[in-house]
Amino acid sequence: MNLTCIIVEDLQVAADYLNRCCEKSGQLSVKGHFSAVPEALEFLNSNVVDLIFLDVEMPGATGFDLLDQIAYSPKVILTTSKPEYAFDAFEYNVTDFLKKPFTYQRFLDALKKIPQVAADVTENTITETGIDHIFIKSDGKLIRLNNEDILYIESMGDYVKFVTGEKKYITHNTIKNLEEKVSKQSFIKVHRSYIINIDKISNIRENGLFISGKEIPISKAHKQEVLKRLNII
Amino acid sequence: MGSETLPKQFIFNEKMDKDTLYGLYTDDFVYIEEIFATTLQHFDADFGAVQLAYENGNVEDLKRSVHKIKPTFGFMGLLEAQALCKNLEDECVRAASIHDITKGYIHFKNTLLEAKDIIQSEYLRLKAFNANPL
Repeated sequence: MNLTCIIVEDLQVAADYLNRCCEKSGQLSVKGHFSAVPEALEFLNSNVVDLIFLDVEMPGATGFDLLDQIAYSPKVILTTSKPEYAFDAFEYNVTDFLKKPFTYQRFLDALKKIPQVAADVTENTITETGIDHIFIKSDGKLIRLNNEDILYIESMGDYVKFVTGEKKYITHNTIKNLEEKVSKQSFIKVHRSYIINIDKISNIRENGLFISGKEIPISKAHKQEVLKRLNII
Repeated sequence: MGSETLPKQFIFNEKMDKDTLYGLYTDDFVYIEEIFATTLQHFDADFGAVQLAYENGNVEDLKRSVHKIKPTFGFMGLLEAQALCKNLEDECVRAASIHDITKGYIHFKNTLLEAKDIIQSEYLRLKAFNANPL
């Protein structure tokens, strides 16, 4: 389901980044970008949207001024670089609070707090549970690899290497593309060059993890997500 | 397909935090080039507003314009510049007049100008890198 949204943000690079996140999510249709509150209000007076990405400090009026003046209550995700606004955000009952700059994963986490989006994500997850294998093209053949046999996938530029307990397969693809295609239940990206099978981790250290004796780096950007997925007692 | 080739990677200027950049954009170097270009298009106007507020001795406008430009450096992985913006913004809250922040401002201004040079040179390097994918 596509929700409609607008972006109210006076910093162009932040607006462009947010627009890109919206497009990438496939869940949102961006109806406009406004760099000041009066223009946004004018649009909102004659258009209804489901969601507003709203900066707080802008020339002339703040994001909270906008919330005080709109006649209906769309969902609101605040985007600001000042965590001090968290209390006001709570008072205005906003859905989430994104501190700029934020990662795409953090953006998705905020989206999932919107009930309509959360419902879609749940449906997608259910669909994924049926996928327990992938086919890869290697040495001129299509080879079936069961998820449970794959230890990790490593980037090699325009190629990737699938490593199983028995064999390694090299195929023309990228980690970025595979990130979308492999089962999110079994696999997680831990570094720009590695996707790993979460069930195959034998131990984790400060900046790396071990699978079958191979040390694989974990980047700062992915560490939190990796730790979240582990069954830590 | 026998020999393993090393991944083609762009090595960012050491002053840019690569974990931040990869966290935001993964390895989408074409998009990073776009983001750098957008930043450069707007940098002079955003920095000009900071300069003007300082020259006019208007602490409130200075705070506002520094607040606006601050996330730019986060998006560029220039964490030192981002932190300096945060410091100056805080100083503006405490300052009774523009004279209270004069000393810190020179360092701030030089760091931001250096940051612009870094973004400019990295943008040109990225452009060349993306034009030659092999």
